[in-house]
Amino acid sequence: MHTALVIGAGFTGLGTAIKLRESGIEDLVILERADRVGGTWRDATYPGAACDIPSQLYSFSFAKNPGWSRTYSPSAEIHAHIEELAERFDLVKDIRFNTEVTRLAFDKKEAHWVVSAGRRKFYARTVVVASGPLSDASLPGIRGIEDYQGAKILSARWDHDYDFAGKNVAVIGTGASAVQIIPELVKTAGSVKVFQRTAGWVMPRVDFETPAVAKAVFARVPAAQQAARTALFLAHEAAATGLVWDTPVTSLIQQAGKLHLRLTVKDKWLRRQLTPDFRAGCKRMLMSSDYYPALQQDNCKLITWPIATITPGGIQTSDGLQHEVDAIVFATGYDVHLEGPPYPVTGLDGQSLQDEWSGHPQAYKSASAHGYPNLFFTCGPNSGPGHNSLLVYVQGQIEYAVAGIRTIVEQDLRWLDVKKEVQDAYNVSMQKRLRSTTWMSGCASWYLTADGFNASMYPGFATQYLRQMQDFRIRDYEVSSAAAQRLWNASSTEPGRDLTAV
Amino acid sequence: MTPTKRMDMDEMLQKIKDRQWALADIDWTAPGAETISDEFRPKLKAFMADLCWIENVGARGFAAMAKKAPTPTIAEIYRYFHAEEQRHANAELALMKRWGMLEDGEVPEPSVNIRMAIEWLDTYADDMPLSVLGTVIPMLEVALDGALLKFLLEEVHDPVCHQVFEKINNDESRHIAVDFEVLDLIGHAKARKLAIDFVANVATPGLIIGALMYVPLLNRMRNNLVGMGLQPEKLYRAMERFEKLGNRGEFTHRVPLFQVLRVHAAMVVDPKHPYHLVANTMVKVSEYYPRALFRPIPTWFKELTHEPTTKGVKKGMNAA
Ligand SMILES: Cc1cc2nc3c(=O)[nH]c(=O)nc-3n(C[C@H](O)[C@H](O)[C@H](O)COP(=O)(O)OP(=O)(O)OC[C@H]3O[C@@H](n4cnc5c(N)ncnc54)[C@H](O)[C@@H]3O)c2cc1C
Ligand SMILES: [Fe+2]
Ligand SMILES: [Fe+2]
Repeated sequence: MHTALVIGAGFTGLGTAIKLRESGIEDLVILERADRVGGTWRDATYPGAACDIPSQLYSFSFAKNPGWSRTYSPSAEIHAHIEELAERFDLVKDIRFNTEVTRLAFDKKEAHWVVSAGRRKFYARTVVVASGPLSDASLPGIRGIEDYQGAKILSARWDHDYDFAGKNVAVIGTGASAVQIIPELVKTAGSVKVFQRTAGWVMPRVDFETPAVAKAVFARVPAAQQAARTALFLAHEAAATGLVWDTPVTSLIQQAGKLHLRLTVKDKWLRRQLTPDFRAGCKRMLMSSDYYPALQQDNCKLITWPIATITPGGIQTSDGLQHEVDAIVFATGYDVHLEGPPYPVTGLDGQSLQDEWSGHPQAYKSASAHGYPNLFFTCGPNSGPGHNSLLVYVQGQIEYAVAGIRTIVEQDLRWLDVKKEVQDAYNVSMQKRLRSTTWMSGCASWYLTADGFNASMYPGFATQYLRQMQDFRIRDYEVSSAAAQRLWNASSTEPGRDLTAV
Repeated sequence: MTPTKRMDMDEMLQKIKDRQWALADIDWTAPGAETISDEFRPKLKAFMADLCWIENVGARGFAAMAKKAPTPTIAEIYRYFHAEEQRHANAELALMKRWGMLEDGEVPEPSVNIRMAIEWLDTYADDMPLSVLGTVIPMLEVALDGALLKFLLEEVHDPVCHQVFEKINNDESRHIAVDFEVLDLIGHAKARKLAIDFVANVATPGLIIGALMYVPLLNRMRNNLVGMGLQPEKLYRAMERFEKLGNRGEFTHRVPLFQVLRVHAAMVVDPKHPYHLVANTMVKVSEYYPRALFRPIPTWFKELTHEPTTKGVKKGMNAA
């Protein structure tokens, strides 16, 4: 039996472990389905993979890296940093690798979570879900895909054995991964045809090598690095006035996007094809300075005709043509689990989280769900930033989970379960505040469930979000105290009856 | 009047996705090409060239419509229609190739009237409101796009041509169904909004120039038909269909531009109407339009190809 169990050894899982240890909770275990730490940055190894939020901000403030090589560090460097964190904080000993969680069930009688990983079982008083917002990917259900005879390459699971040199390649999708992959592919492949469904807003990404002096200063004067981080944080916060809420600033951002297009794309029709028809911020912003130039290379072509079907030899578009290609890169994104983790979770009375969240996922402060005590979500409902580093938000979630777990331990609680009325009131206010955001301005995006419900994004500034996460209030929760239960058991003829709200 | 039942656009979109076809589905070398006589060939070539560019013009119209569509589903439908018009043009080019009308790498020259239409579309179409585009496009579809094909089938006895036009006509029947449904939706809007859209756009250079381009284009096609020995009545019947289909809608009659086009169509179908004097003069005048004034042909115009299959990227070519 562990005090805390963490699912996932990516940035979030490791950050949680670091903070739990720091607060005196030593008895913890991390379950990771892969054989190495790193999460996203272990798996995203496609050419050009890098973060699109500056590295100074795309890291934890409590575990900085003075040595980032560039403004936007490449995937391998971020992965190395995460591995270094695991070493630096001596976390590896607590990680059970090759252990994929398949079920979470709360045992009411024993007041602990039973965590199944196949046939193995783990028991823990508290659980932190850190299995990642974008950690699963699969081939999209495009007509005819199973008939295709060439190489199928999923951007999220790059096939490094495939040699693109001289090949005719198709890329399906023009999202965050695609704009990083295409400029690299164009350098090696014989030809690259890019199949676009909707054009996104692309902002220039000014990527510098970090000057040696800066690295030296950051290493010796941590305060200087914190200052750089704070400046970046505030700059991103300012962008929220246009990217979170649909305001005149949104229009300004669009003007900047159009200017970028005008300055870098010569042909009028190509510019029209690349001009988004939704409000900036409604879908994830794309950051790239080399995507537009790549599309205009002699061996690259943007195709905006709908894909009619995939054929054995390539892709058939609705203008009646067949595009024969040797390989198709599916840069089609991730299986976003808006309706709860992809493994079953059952709560206090055996109810299923997936059933409850179907269509309309709800949590309190994105971290706790009524009926699922002692369980803390990261990247939970309405926790996503549209304008800032995800890790800034994750840091708030870690702080919240640690405060909750410490409360359980210090007050010797059997469980802590958020009150239904507190959760409901919170969500009414969330949905009200969401109405005026860019995400609800009418575009279809992976932020929304099938019926257009937004359970992914946080409608506000990061500062607001962090403030609420720093404020763990026990009065928001129903608690079951272990001492009271023991007393009850001793005096009662009905042993095992639980006492809530004591 | 019983209220019209609204079309289920999601169902329509699904149907469109299920009915996609490609140039490669057709055997372009099958026998039948010899049915085109040497004497008929040049006339047919002129007609096919115009037809193929009209498809392309329609395609560009749908591209503009997609940005104005009232719902995401209709936007997606227009995105398909845009591609389908392009498919028609590609297939018609492939027929021309089959009939020996195109040298290697040759793409038929667009006529002046087509060039004018293209310039108009490129300059104004994206700024026209839905109520204007949504009325003009159906007219273009019934009068030129859909109907012209039907005459061809009477004159041309090549089975491959029939096979191709059966596919094209099936697409067109969906286009026309959606066109008139949307026209009716437009008519459903507040009268005030319709009036504002109309007044604000009728007097604009965009619409005036549009009319100046549409009138000779239509008469040019009429003259083409007569040149091939066909009766222009066929074209007129098609134009009357515009009114007939429009009148089936519950609200279509409320769209001011619909009324304008309806009256215009009535003039066109009356061969004795003085309108034809004016229109034919416009065709002649447009022949004198200095080509140097045209801006370079937009790149979307160069995407047409008769090749069913492409491999690799050839920039600046009529191949994908
Ligand atoms: C290509 C890409 C680029 C991105 N760039 C940025 C960026 O620039 N800025 C930004 O803010 N965000 C970015 N993100 C979002 C990114 O996902 C997060 O910033 C961050 O990496 C999430 O960390 P995590 O630890 O929560 O999840 P992950 O990194 O996904 O880690 C989750 C871990 O849990 C493990 N796991 C999953 N399921 C199970 C299971 N059932 N049992 C056991 N273990 C399991 C996984 O193997 C993985 O190791 C990007 C995402 C991707 C995919
Ligand atoms: Fe057509
Ligand atoms: Fe059509």
